[in-house]
Amino acid sequence: MIEESTDLAVEPLLDARGVIKRYQGVTALDGASLQVAPAEIHALLGGNGAGKSTLINVLSGITTPDAGTITLAGRRVDIRRPSDAHAAGITTIHQELSLVPALTTLDNVFLGRETSARFLGLKLKLDRRRMAEHVAELAEEFGITQEDLALPVGEFGALKKRVVEIVKALAFDPRLLILDEPTSGLEDEEKQHLFGHMRRLRDRGVSLIWVTHHLEELFGLADTATVFRDGRTVDTLPVADTTVDRLVDLMFGGAAEEFSGTTNPHVHEASSDGTEILRLENVNRANVLRDISLEVKAGEIVGISGLAGAGRTELARVIMGLDKLSSGQISVRGNRTRISDASHAYKKGLAMVPEDRKQLGILADLSVAENISISNLSSVSRFGFVINRKEEAERGDTFRRRLSIRTPDVKMRIGNLSGGNQQKAVVARCLNTEPALVIFDEPTQGIDVSAKVEVHNLIREFVASGGAAIVIASEVGELVELSHRVLVMRQGRIVGRVDGVSHALAQGQGEQLKQRILSLSARSEQS
Amino acid sequence: MSTQGTTTKVLSTVGVPIAIVLVVLVVVFQILSPVFLEPSSVRDYITNAIPILLITVGVAIVITAGGIDLSVGTVAGLSAGISLWALSAGASTVVGILAGLATGVLFGLINGLLITKLAINDFIVTLATLNIAAGLLVVLTESVSLQGISVPGFSSLVYGRILGIPTSFWIAVIIFAAMQFVLVRTMLGRRIFAVGVAPEAARNAGVDVPGIRLSTFVISGLLAGAAGVLLASRLGTVQAFLGVGYEFTAIAGAVLGGVSLAGGRGSVWAAVVGGLLLATVQQGLRLNGVDPVYFSIVTGLCIIAGVVFDRGVQRIVFNRMLGRPSGGPPRDVQKTDDVMAGASAGSRADS
Repeated sequence: MIEESTDLAVEPLLDARGVIKRYQGVTALDGASLQVAPAEIHALLGGNGAGKSTLINVLSGITTPDAGTITLAGRRVDIRRPSDAHAAGITTIHQELSLVPALTTLDNVFLGRETSARFLGLKLKLDRRRMAEHVAELAEEFGITQEDLALPVGEFGALKKRVVEIVKALAFDPRLLILDEPTSGLEDEEKQHLFGHMRRLRDRGVSLIWVTHHLEELFGLADTATVFRDGRTVDTLPVADTTVDRLVDLMFGGAAEEFSGTTNPHVHEASSDGTEILRLENVNRANVLRDISLEVKAGEIVGISGLAGAGRTELARVIMGLDKLSSGQISVRGNRTRISDASHAYKKGLAMVPEDRKQLGILADLSVAENISISNLSSVSRFGFVINRKEEAERGDTFRRRLSIRTPDVKMRIGNLSGGNQQKAVVARCLNTEPALVIFDEPTQGIDVSAKVEVHNLIREFVASGGAAIVIASEVGELVELSHRVLVMRQGRIVGRVDGVSHALAQGQGEQLKQRILSLSARSEQS
Repeated sequence: MSTQGTTTKVLSTVGVPIAIVLVVLVVVFQILSPVFLEPSSVRDYITNAIPILLITVGVAIVITAGGIDLSVGTVAGLSAGISLWALSAGASTVVGILAGLATGVLFGLINGLLITKLAINDFIVTLATLNIAAGLLVVLTESVSLQGISVPGFSSLVYGRILGIPTSFWIAVIIFAAMQFVLVRTMLGRRIFAVGVAPEAARNAGVDVPGIRLSTFVISGLLAGAAGVLLASRLGTVQAFLGVGYEFTAIAGAVLGGVSLAGGRGSVWAAVVGGLLLATVQQGLRLNGVDPVYFSIVTGLCIIAGVVFDRGVQRIVFNRMLGRPSGGPPRDVQKTDDVMAGASAGSRADS
């Protein structure tokens, strides 16, 4: 069916409407739409989990939507697999480079689409000469020389790899090029070069969808911006007519309403005389953490805010001994410690509820009780090595009742529980180690609203009984409600410290607080 | 719990489907050839199968932790050689046994350290030590004669009888029971499962993942050493290339029993049943006068048929738990949150 739409001044190149995608009860896209004009740079913005990546996956054929239509240059397209996207003229450059380091630039460009020299109808060998002729001019334009074409891509720096990806994408004349966080891993000067390339692409008539977290990069480059929030399109507006503040507002504006009422922030101040549990001094880890200093006292919740890639999880991993630090000091309860691995961290009284519960948190094939006991098996064992399974089940059951983990039996496989109940079991696992400090990394990700409230209350109860907590969360509203203090991270650094959160909340200044945190995490130092 | 729930639970236990196949096969072979279940016949084929069963259990434990050990066969062969060498040099039975076991443990330790400390892929490391152990045995058999060595105490490991049953049978049963105990009742066993299910999650939960992986290779080495000692006791002679190829029979037996190569699902007795099934098929063919040149082909077909059968049973069981008509794909099971109320964590056979 070809439907011509004539009512628009300029017919959009891409018109995606009503796109819905659900994953196991989580709605990633809730009727999102996106219109991209021919030959424009179109920024796609939104907080973590807004649905940008899902839409890109839909457009590039990695996932199939549950509903929605995609029209390309007036023609309905049905994208079921990556090759369909290619055939339609949509090419995506993903955040993680998809080049094969050992292959030459030329072979990478033609990977899977090689031209072969034929003999008696059989493809015998790659016809590198023909392939080189095909891309020579294009490569030249982007500063890739003949010699570069013959070099393995692994020898190039981040920018040049990006450029090879662009050449690879352009070699087959896409009409729409999707760039997912193309500046990640690039130095400032390299970014400027990349932006030059993007302008050149637009001048050639290619439309670009540009996904970025760095709002200040848009100005002077992007023509239009579309903002996603919670899987829906909030607004599409010309970049020239807007500001960073306006965009931040669009990206996160709804967070406030969504949160009020979901939890009951019985405002409580951190006990000011709490003893210090954890102290970090000038902690560095090559390229991911820079000069981090912080301390956490008993009885307080310290929130850590920041966009994806700011280094929040990396910080948690260094504290738990999962990653090594390159310099700096960590002290637990006043004693300088070198935490060699996570088992050591647990013995020191640290515990963690990891991000990505399904992959990194639960042990899906073990039972609920076994998941709870795993970090402190001695607590249910005799003679130091034999597990008393009766005691293990009883202990599991105690936690089941205390934390309201909804399962008919703690001997049930944890993988069959709902996300919220799985998460409560992971919290129980931490509590079973009688920790002094628990790190909660995205503790409410992918769990429903009521479970969210329960997890929040568990965290509050834990600190009220003398524990200390670090909470990492992408939703600023959640952080503000939960934390006594918030640290804002950007590019591996702590760029802001917001104290007296509960005090500000009590005075009804939650909204201003959120704006402050958001602008700290999204903006570069200059602006 | 309803009857259906109980049936479902039993069938979903690792090793049960293949145990049913084993019983059916034994009945069929007995009908085809009435000597099949004669005591002397059973005694022979079980005694012959025991070294491989020990290796199978060792490999099953490594696989349960998500690893693989290819070196077990030739390490067993080398252990047999070292054991006989010690005896031929005048060592006592005890020292002979310890020499064989130590060889296995040493190789397990080397495998484990290379894999965990140098972060080399376990497939590659154990492929290398497979060759090294095989080569060492060749060198050993070239240098000293390991023919017809008979030390009465040592031979009695296999040829001795306790209550009319060969000593090696009792030894194997004790080892299997001990290993099953380790796997399902101890902290080490629990951590082995945790590492096999999700190594990253286990690490986040404070499990010393490299340490656990190392222990599984040491256990596997120890069992290969024990297999070597029993081989040496039975044969009294060790030739170059003893044990070559055993590793594949062992891996096949473990997988046939229902031990998942993906890790996190395994049981000692399931591995033993899987290994016994392969041995039983060979014995049945032999007694029915099938030319041994076909054994390898039949074994291969058995492995495929057994795994397909096991998976078919699992599929039916899962669908039944979900209240779906059978035949649908079982892969959605992981995602289903609100059903399977009657199913407990069924990844292990409880002893």
